[in-house]
Amino acid sequence: MRVADLVPDAEYSIQQSEQTLAAALKQVSTGLRVNQPSDDPAAAANYVTSLAASANVDQYTKNITALTSQLQTADSALGSVVTSLNTAISLGYQGGTGTASTSDRQAIANQVQGVLNNVVAQANTSYQGAYVFGGSDTSTAPVVEAATAYTTAATVQPPLTATQPLTPGSITTVTDATTGKTFIFTVTPGETISDLSAAVANAAANGTLSAGTTATLNANNQLVFTSGSSQGIVVASNDPVLGAITAVSGSQVANSYAYVGNGNVNNVQVGDSLQVSGNLPGDQIFTSGTNVIGALTGLINALQTGTSTQIQNATAAVSSALAGVSQQRVPLDNTISQLNSQESYLGQESVTLSTNQNSLVDADLAVAATNLAQAETQNSAVLAAAARVLPQTLLDYLPPA
Amino acid sequence: MASLSSALSIAAQALNADTGALQITDNNISNANTPGYTRKLPVFEEVQPTPDGNLDYGSGAVLEGYQSVRDELLQSRIGQETQAQGSANAQLATLQQIQPTFTSSTQDIGTEISALFSSISALSTDPTNSSSREAVLSAGQNLATAFNTVSNTLTSQQTALNTQITQDVNQINNLSQQIAVLNPQIAGLEASGQDTGTLQDQQDQLVLDLSALTNVSVTQTPLGITVTTGTGTPLVVGAQNYALETVPGSSGDLQVLDQNGSNVTASITGGDLGGTLQTQEQTIPGLLNSLDTLANQLGTAFNNAQAAGFDENGAAGKNFFNVPTTVAGSAASISVALTNPAGIAASSDGTSGSDGNLATFAAIQNDPLPLGQTPEDAYASVVYQVGSLADNAQAESTATAASLQQLNDQLSSVSGVSIDEESTNLITYQTAYEAAARVVTTIQALFQTTMLMGTAAAE
Repeated sequence: MRVADLVPDAEYSIQQSEQTLAAALKQVSTGLRVNQPSDDPAAAANYVTSLAASANVDQYTKNITALTSQLQTADSALGSVVTSLNTAISLGYQGGTGTASTSDRQAIANQVQGVLNNVVAQANTSYQGAYVFGGSDTSTAPVVEAATAYTTAATVQPPLTATQPLTPGSITTVTDATTGKTFIFTVTPGETISDLSAAVANAAANGTLSAGTTATLNANNQLVFTSGSSQGIVVASNDPVLGAITAVSGSQVANSYAYVGNGNVNNVQVGDSLQVSGNLPGDQIFTSGTNVIGALTGLINALQTGTSTQIQNATAAVSSALAGVSQQRVPLDNTISQLNSQESYLGQESVTLSTNQNSLVDADLAVAATNLAQAETQNSAVLAAAARVLPQTLLDYLPPA
Repeated sequence: MASLSSALSIAAQALNADTGALQITDNNISNANTPGYTRKLPVFEEVQPTPDGNLDYGSGAVLEGYQSVRDELLQSRIGQETQAQGSANAQLATLQQIQPTFTSSTQDIGTEISALFSSISALSTDPTNSSSREAVLSAGQNLATAFNTVSNTLTSQQTALNTQITQDVNQINNLSQQIAVLNPQIAGLEASGQDTGTLQDQQDQLVLDLSALTNVSVTQTPLGITVTTGTGTPLVVGAQNYALETVPGSSGDLQVLDQNGSNVTASITGGDLGGTLQTQEQTIPGLLNSLDTLANQLGTAFNNAQAAGFDENGAAGKNFFNVPTTVAGSAASISVALTNPAGIAASSDGTSGSDGNLATFAAIQNDPLPLGQTPEDAYASVVYQVGSLADNAQAESTATAASLQQLNDQLSSVSGVSIDEESTNLITYQTAYEAAARVVTTIQALFQTTMLMGTAAAE
């Protein structure tokens, strides 16, 4: 082929060689093989999803840290309940011996009363302002002393009447210490105070609430909830029409507690397919099921008024409650150890993901350095060749004219 | 009969011819670096021999003229590659500016999507924690801002391309006019049988410049070349050039009109204008649509999740994002609707402490949106889309550059000026000139000899 001019070819080769050199230099200086999506579109896309997976793993790890503290708070509260119950049992044995006098028993009952107060305090343990035994209702103390009567304030404006419409969507709850159940009244549009009264009567009839429980307006336009049982009720409402509902002074029932939390658990994601419950509804421990508070109340009553046998039976009930609490702690402890092992798994996962990210976008430094060296050599060769060839013309060899 | 005087006139002819050849060589050397210049070869021709009895004496040679060494096929292939390269480079330039917004790694959409889901996961450990709630709102705000920023970047790039389009169209009109002026000049020279090389070189170079701007097709006619763009939109016919026009379209993008006012935007596919229009009309709208769809469906999914739960006060959840009803423009206008962190519908049972509904939010991360992918996969697809568009444009640009290099080598091999070759020619014609001059001297001496025949000087 006839070659007219070497310059364009030499220019092109220098350009090509310098592009390769620039690319090699960029890889070595940034340490990245993929600096922008066009360097490797598939790797850039995978990098995006891999970063998202990493962010999840980081968050799961943080969740575990938060949950572990929360569950340990619950666990140590239950540990304290176990200690309290052991104290109550030894007190029960002392009071149950035939030699104990009435005044001894009264003194022991007072000590058990202290134990009960401690257990109630543990039941209302909170972690960072959230009650750990209230189910998903973490904002109110789950175990509340019951009263036989609750009433709205006398100062509610406008004064309450039977036909007064309630606020749609608002919730009024009546928890019965005897049945252990909660009646929930959610207002639908158009419902009035008389509908609420009727619903409470209905709940008392169907056994949710103790028979005879009522909600009626009194002469002072106050809505009064009266318990049908001596164990009392706990009433709460978020309806602004009703205002605050409080226990009627003096109607509190000593040693009778109602669980006003709920049975729902909050699940927290700590792995792509692993959820653990972050809290423990306390109803099955404190007020029904294992019924720690019931057992302690029974022991106090037995010590105050019962026979040795009754005290011994009540002590036995506290013992079985203790066994119940120990049993309830097992899944909690399991969750805590599960969280620990998940945490180390996530640690590995995080390493795997960052290795994956490195392999996607990072330059292999050995390869990059070799490439750079090669590109340098090639560039020098191209430049040297151009420098040698380009200035040469036939004119160099012709004698001066 | 052979005569000294005819020999002298042959020598004189040769001197003339060699001077002409030297001039052509000189011109070649001078134009060695002129873009588009085609080397010229002197055309020597033997003069009809003079019959003399049985003998035919040669009558020497004359310089008939010169011939431009051209290859129209190579020229037109270079034109095509130049169109492809112009288009690829125009697309690459914009895509390289767009690319970084998609993977800025600290505030890009992908990072903000996972930050939002992380904040929701954090809230599930303590649904009443007001700073965790605040964190979800601000993560939502950041995501909306990321969508807005990328969308605005794309839109402003799209608008900025209008300037490029206006410039390209002006240049096309300018070049068309220059080509049209040359047409009658070339036709005139051809009619008088002269070499049109110089003017054709100029015209070829103008057509090549035009090819860098738009797709052109060239046809030879007796009136000169006819140049069309797109699907037959005339730019030059004979001495007449036809100007293209730009008018703003409904979306604000400039549209290209031919001399009759018909919209020919879609038919312009090559050169810088073709690449710019492709970016403005196809590439950026495609990316915007992907982002709009993602923003719209992700926003709607969050709003649906809100509606499935209760806020911290036990009321039914309200919209998390303000999402437009139409997909178009969603990425540009998505914003956070909630102002109060308590409005996040974490609760599934109405109590403030419940995190039951946060699982509905978390599920958005792992379940496919109506577009068929999870939000992060959908975003990864957009990144892939941008990356591969830029990568393809880059590859196209590199490939056309290599191909152009090859074609230019070939063309230069045919038409290019080689200094070495011209130097050799210079020696050849110089030697020939010297030889002819020697002939003149010799004949002069012979004349002298003849003149002195029979005189004393002869003895």
